Amino acid sequence: MGNKCNLITLKNITKYFPGTIANDHIDLTLAGGEVLALFGENGAGKTTLMSILYGLYQPDEGEIFIKGEQVKIRSPHDAMEYGIGMIHQHFTLVPVHTVVENIILGTEQASLKYLNIEEKVKKIEKIGNKYGLEVDPFAIIRQLPVGMQQRVEIIKALYRNAQILIMDEPTSVLTPQETEKLFNFIRDFKAKGHSVIFISHKLNEVMEIADRITVLRDGKIVGNVSRSEASESRLTHMMIGRDLEITKTNNTIHPKSEMLKIENLTIVGDRKSKVIDDISFTVREGEIFGIAGVSGNGQEELAQALCGLRKVKSGQITLSDKDITNKDVLSIIHQGVGYIPADRHKEGLVLDMSIEENLFLKNHSNPMFFHYGFLNQNKIQENARNLMRDFEIKAASSKSRAMTLSGGNQQKVAVAREVNIGTKLLVAIQPTRGLDLGAIDYVHKTLLKEKKEGKAILLISTELSEIMTLSDRIGVMYRGKLLKIIQRKDAKVDEIGLLMAGITEGNRNGKN
Amino acid sequence: MEKINNLINKTDGRIEQSSISQDDNVWLNFLPVFSVLLGLLMSGLMMLFLGYNPLTVYSNMLSYAFRDIYNIADIFAKATPLILTGLAFGFAFRASLFNIGAQGQFYIGAVMAVTCALKLGSFPSYLILIICFIMSLIGGSLWAAFIGYVKARFNANEFLVSMMLTYVAIAIMNFLLGGLLKEAKGEYPQTDVIPKSGWLPSLIPHTRLHWGFVVALLIALLAYIILWRTSLGYKIRMVGYNRDAARYAGINIENIFVIVFFISGAFAGIAGFTEINGMQHMLIEGFNPMIGAEGIGIAILGNAHPLGIVLSALLFGALKVGGNLVVQTSRIPASIIGIMEGLVLLSVILSYFVRDKLMVLRSKKKLVVRERHKL
Amino acid sequence: MNNIITGLLVATIRMSTPLMLGALGEVFVERTGVMNIAIEGIFLMGAWGGFVGAYLTGKLWIGFLFAIGVGVLCGAIYGYFTIKLKQHQIVTGVAINILTLGLGLFLYQLLFGIPLLPLTVEPLKDISIPFLSTIPIIGSAFFSQNILTYLAVVLIILGYWVLFRTPLGLIIRSTGENPEAVDVAGINVERIRFLAVLGSSALDGLAGAFYSIGFLGLYTNNIIGGRGWIAFAICFLGNWNPLGILIGSLIFGLAEGLSVVLLTSNFKLIPNEFLIAFPYILTIVATISRRQFNVPAFLGKPYIKERS
Repeated sequence: MGNKCNLITLKNITKYFPGTIANDHIDLTLAGGEVLALFGENGAGKTTLMSILYGLYQPDEGEIFIKGEQVKIRSPHDAMEYGIGMIHQHFTLVPVHTVVENIILGTEQASLKYLNIEEKVKKIEKIGNKYGLEVDPFAIIRQLPVGMQQRVEIIKALYRNAQILIMDEPTSVLTPQETEKLFNFIRDFKAKGHSVIFISHKLNEVMEIADRITVLRDGKIVGNVSRSEASESRLTHMMIGRDLEITKTNNTIHPKSEMLKIENLTIVGDRKSKVIDDISFTVREGEIFGIAGVSGNGQEELAQALCGLRKVKSGQITLSDKDITNKDVLSIIHQGVGYIPADRHKEGLVLDMSIEENLFLKNHSNPMFFHYGFLNQNKIQENARNLMRDFEIKAASSKSRAMTLSGGNQQKVAVAREVNIGTKLLVAIQPTRGLDLGAIDYVHKTLLKEKKEGKAILLISTELSEIMTLSDRIGVMYRGKLLKIIQRKDAKVDEIGLLMAGITEGNRNGKN
Repeated sequence: MEKINNLINKTDGRIEQSSISQDDNVWLNFLPVFSVLLGLLMSGLMMLFLGYNPLTVYSNMLSYAFRDIYNIADIFAKATPLILTGLAFGFAFRASLFNIGAQGQFYIGAVMAVTCALKLGSFPSYLILIICFIMSLIGGSLWAAFIGYVKARFNANEFLVSMMLTYVAIAIMNFLLGGLLKEAKGEYPQTDVIPKSGWLPSLIPHTRLHWGFVVALLIALLAYIILWRTSLGYKIRMVGYNRDAARYAGINIENIFVIVFFISGAFAGIAGFTEINGMQHMLIEGFNPMIGAEGIGIAILGNAHPLGIVLSALLFGALKVGGNLVVQTSRIPASIIGIMEGLVLLSVILSYFVRDKLMVLRSKKKLVVRERHKL
Repeated sequence: MNNIITGLLVATIRMSTPLMLGALGEVFVERTGVMNIAIEGIFLMGAWGGFVGAYLTGKLWIGFLFAIGVGVLCGAIYGYFTIKLKQHQIVTGVAINILTLGLGLFLYQLLFGIPLLPLTVEPLKDISIPFLSTIPIIGSAFFSQNILTYLAVVLIILGYWVLFRTPLGLIIRSTGENPEAVDVAGINVERIRFLAVLGSSALDGLAGAFYSIGFLGLYTNNIIGGRGWIAFAICFLGNWNPLGILIGSLIFGLAEGLSVVLLTSNFKLIPNEFLIAFPYILTIVATISRRQFNVPAFLGKPYIKERS
């Protein structure tokens, strides 16, 4: 770094939220023409810090300097004036509007003058050509694949003359190939003299793209290393404060009987097109079958069909020789199917209810919990006590409301309940999304434990590393089709990555 | 110290949008009382501004309302239908559903009750009352179940449908009053007085308080038991809190919609029974035109909880009784009662905002305490 | 026969005027994500304000201005509670509707006591456009209406243009679909919504005044009788599109016009009450059968910034 005049300097930045210190006296610098990675696990404070830089939050303490001068960034408007653009983890796009409409939103005065779309389109195309980011200006956002939507977000920032791009976990929604394209753009952007702040919790990506890596843990900076000084173990050590024990999986497979059988399943989605197209596979007792794939390729619909929430057009779902195709949710629950959801706040828990009521959620028609038709409070409490003990759920009491729990403990409640119900089959879809390392480890250990007990487990995840760690067999899903099923020992990341983008052996030369 | 003050002032945090919340702090439970007082205060200011003396008005209201047993009994009598329409809105609200059509369901229930009372005059009294009760219940519940069905099947906007159905109910009632049910004299759009056998017996002699009040209390108790002690109530509350989780738990949301509206409408229909058989003893065009809206207000004031609803209904009853008497003696228009009710409601809504802010403040204070220990 | 059709057309367009105004305002405010549930109450206050203003000063235009002012005031209260304090829109709207019902009557009685005969004001006169209004059958219907009607049509066309062809319209539409996107672009979501509430309330006040001083020439507490809600419904049925509500308003204006015409004629075949109920039944049927494709995604949800 030496004498380079730093483009951005953050000094002593501190931010409090109710109940926690998100950023604890952080110093950070960014030089021109540099890619800085902000590395740390979920909840370390990376997004908060960058939100402060982008004007979304105001720091409780600390100063921001741009090119040596102290500035106040009170809103994204100010940030954009200083040439800072941010691409958030959750896109801030209007799904029903076109690409142009999204890009120009906020760049015009809120006036009643005629909006000349054509000249805006020209400017957008110029940017697209300059950086190799082609996009159809009149496409409707919600019809675009996620990788394209991200592209629109990037163009949005470039349209406002961003010199510095902040990217928050940009690769979480991309295939390995799209990620490579993104990295090419970043390198190109850097070569033109601009800078990028790259937020990520993924070690390999950080190692590939960054010039410098700043590590955050529990809201504090714990290290600042250049690419040449960095190593995987050193970074991991900094990120979690200790050496990570790799969860050892027991990959020996004893041939066991089939538990779940999917035959020629076809599901038609909300827009009348096939979201699941004639797929077949089985999951055996004591096995974890992982389905890899970028989100939006039918995984959610498949999970919903297994739960009983979605009707299938044709095909059959068999559980332990019983046909459960198109059965209602309650009967499937009674058959012993547990479902660990992606969005625990939406699908897994009722935050306003107590922990014991949440643990009782799927037992509402179980006669064991009733006393002449009325709810048996004692039984409900007892059930909660047992589960909380077995699954180490930390809470003040079983009557506390679920919203008072930490994210990790909330997921534990959902997991505890589903594991209890899922005596035969567990369906887990994105079970570790948004959790810190400790909670992720807990969920993984739980799944492996249940596998040992002989349950069949279907794991659907967009995190390839998770699939690779846990699965015995891996299937790759693309546009509703199961492209290939591979044994764990034969699986290679490159091949799976291509499959996730729809490139099979057959069409390899035709695509892309 | 300044650092800690800065903490409390600067950070804002989330404001949960929940009108219904169970909070532990004792003071917060008195918030509704404070807001009622605030609403009355604002009404008083308005009276002052318009040339009336609020102190005389309020003191007169109080003294009149509790002057003698007749008036006190009247408070309970007036509260009776309000309890029921309040329960109607509140019950549906627990499922995050909006039954704005209680007025219409009330009218349909009233029509059913008066028709039975008129036609079955020769039956023994207890039988007439039971039949009127059941028919008014069925009338109100079916009128409302339609809303639930339409929402379940077509995802129609229940707010609009329930609103419109009320006007249709009014039209039906007026049509019947113009012809089939019209009084023998044929002068006014109203029915004949129903035979004595159809009258709900009086609870306190020489007052207007009738057994309908007991019915209302029992219904309130029933609502409580359903919501918090049965599986159905659990499902209803879950649907109210988080529909997605309810679906994943195997609850048939669409069925719940219909059931909730059915029960809610039943409550409103029974209000028709209590008013016809207990209070008016006849059906007059356009009677009790605000009972539905007031029920909504009472449910809000009572936090959609049966106990709160009963208490709020009694409050509104007292306002009405005192207010009506004040109007007779001074020159203040009767509509002041409506203004008082409206201002009380706005104050209640304000109080929800205050409560939410207080909750956020308390969680921040906990953080401050933690910080203090660190320093 | 011609006379009946003409009469019907005239009544249709006349009765659809306040519906157009109210529905247009509702479209704009709902496009930002806020439902103006106080619409019925604001219609009523507008009717009151219009009558009071016109009666006391003798000038109709002052009445209309006063009605708009009263509407904006009510809207400001509603907007404050729902946008700034982030309270529930339906609950707040109901409270205001209860309040205005009492307030309207109270203030009227305060000013005028309880007169034996209702006080009246000379309502708006029709303005005939020369030549065009002499076209047989449709001439008087389309070109011989009062000024509010012409204004309403102009506003609808303007509204369409603003909503879909200007930067302001883009911001408005985006606010209802994804307020976060607008917020992140540096635009104040609360301000846009609040201004939209004020604008729609102004139109609602004007629409209410139409009933009292534009058409009937008097004020009673029942003068609005649920028509604010019909305007509310038309916004839904018109798919949040100004041109859609034009059609919707005409349909409901027709229903009302029919009942007025049949009432005054000797057609006693259909019971009176049925005619009165017809618009409401129509709304129910339309609500059921219409799939609303354009519902703003964040309609009814207060924008809670996840941050400070």
